[in-house]
Amino acid sequence: MNLNARIQLTRPASFRLNVDVEIPGKGITALYGHSGSGKTTILRCLAGLERGAKGDSIVIQFGDTIWQDAAHFIPPHKRHIGFVFQDAQLLPHLSVGGNLDYAITRRQTDSGPSLNQVVEWLELGKLMHQPVTQLSGGEIQRTAIARALVSGVNLILMDEPLGAIDQEAKGRILPYLDNLHRELAIPIVYVSHLLEEITHLADRLIILERGEVIASGTVIELSSQLNLAIAHDEAAASILECTLGGHDEEYGLSKLLFDGGELIVTRLNQPAGSKARVRIPARDVSLALDPPGKTSILNIIEARIESIEAARQARLLVRLAAGSQFLLARVTRKSIEQLGLQVGQTVYAQIKSVALLTEYHHD
Amino acid sequence: MFADQDLVALLLTLKLALVTTLILLLLGTPLAWWLANTKRRVKLLIEPVVALPLILPPTVMGFYLLIAFAPDSLVGGLWLQLTGTPLAFTFSALVIGSVIYSLPFFTQPLQIAFENLGAGVLEAAATMGARPLDRFFSVAVPLCRRGFITAASLSFAHTVGEFGIVLMIGGNIPGETRVLSIALYDHVESLQYSEAHWLAGGLLLFSFLMLLMVYGANRRFQMRYSF
Repeated sequence: MNLNARIQLTRPASFRLNVDVEIPGKGITALYGHSGSGKTTILRCLAGLERGAKGDSIVIQFGDTIWQDAAHFIPPHKRHIGFVFQDAQLLPHLSVGGNLDYAITRRQTDSGPSLNQVVEWLELGKLMHQPVTQLSGGEIQRTAIARALVSGVNLILMDEPLGAIDQEAKGRILPYLDNLHRELAIPIVYVSHLLEEITHLADRLIILERGEVIASGTVIELSSQLNLAIAHDEAAASILECTLGGHDEEYGLSKLLFDGGELIVTRLNQPAGSKARVRIPARDVSLALDPPGKTSILNIIEARIESIEAARQARLLVRLAAGSQFLLARVTRKSIEQLGLQVGQTVYAQIKSVALLTEYHHD
Repeated sequence: MFADQDLVALLLTLKLALVTTLILLLLGTPLAWWLANTKRRVKLLIEPVVALPLILPPTVMGFYLLIAFAPDSLVGGLWLQLTGTPLAFTFSALVIGSVIYSLPFFTQPLQIAFENLGAGVLEAAATMGARPLDRFFSVAVPLCRRGFITAASLSFAHTVGEFGIVLMIGGNIPGETRVLSIALYDHVESLQYSEAHWLAGGLLLFSFLMLLMVYGANRRFQMRYSF
């Protein structure tokens, strides 16, 4: 079921939110923006935790049901949602199992994964009897995610679920979230200010700035658009959707195909024909006018220059079209001038690193 | 040792403290919750009214209550119509007086506990499908246990130690309004120092044990949940 929200509200300290968002019935939709962009407020509105004050207008519709408008307000406990708070908000007087039980005894619909499934996915079996006050940051967030899942909900809202934990724990939880993607047939709204998390997890992206939506679309579409701030992040990267072509067992490599060429990556653990999403950091892509001769770089893609960032700084972003997909390269302005790079020109993109994002199978 | 009449006074005192504390649990808890959560301006007026017994001499409160309980007054008259008996100088009058007098001792620790609870855990419970009353009993009550223990024991102990207000509205009727502190006063007045010692020592020991229990319970709770 689609989720539609039209929110206009004003808060003290001159914060204004004026958005109209549509969230598709399946997959992860990310709300991205800096702090103060209004992403958490939107999430809290969707949950019913934020009631409009005088002069505000909040209209939220989930499928055919109106959750909130001028005349209606369905309170949070009747919205059948799972909410993962940034600071987890586990019930401190209960154990891990107690927290999950709390959600299960108040289970809102019969659909959704069972306790056993969730405990297995998030590897909580050994922690069930632990008081939540004795958990590590990563364990706390896993429990919080599990608690939202076992509620048997129609919609999951996550507010920077990885915000409060260290890099290492984050690396361990991301795959769990990736898993959910495959296992759940309900929409997930994911708030984050970290591009890395979003390109890893999200299918669709809504970019917010100062309380307004400045762009929305699939992550692949948006991540390579030069006019958006996300392309200018130090972590700017292009995302490619590929099909696994086959394995090279001798060298331990796999071949990924897309309509603009092929990529060689470290052997993937999945059958030929499955889909894979990869992320290519812009700073790891260099450009050459002629097909490079002898080089250790395996991945060279022929591409056409779509646009070149117009700015006076030392390093500029170049957007390349390869088949129907796009690559980003971060190149010095000096090189651009020396090579005489122009829009429309064909170049060879040498790709130093390819990071595999998801290994999911489309049906 | 305790004289028979002192034992009667002791039982009456415990009964008064127990009934007062139970009534405060029922009435004071919602009041503390409301004070902790309301954003309405009228709170600014209600809070000092609730706190008045903290600073008002008990005799002042007792005086006004005595007037209110008189059969020709509004409260006393209503009571007479409903029950057929006058209110002043009865056990019921003592209970009403004690509830009012001990109210801040009950609501203040509890209000602070409710305020410290924060909205987060309650919001989390709501998103898991817990209705408001469910959230109160399954989240607020267990997490504010220390507040409840402190509130209940403070108001219990405070009621046991009441004197001025009892003297004003209860008088000195054995088995009805003659509580421990009054009995002690009587003994001293009539120079029965040995009986007075038993009562005073007993009250002292009781108060100490009560506080020991409160602090002990809080400590255990604190260690278990490391708040």
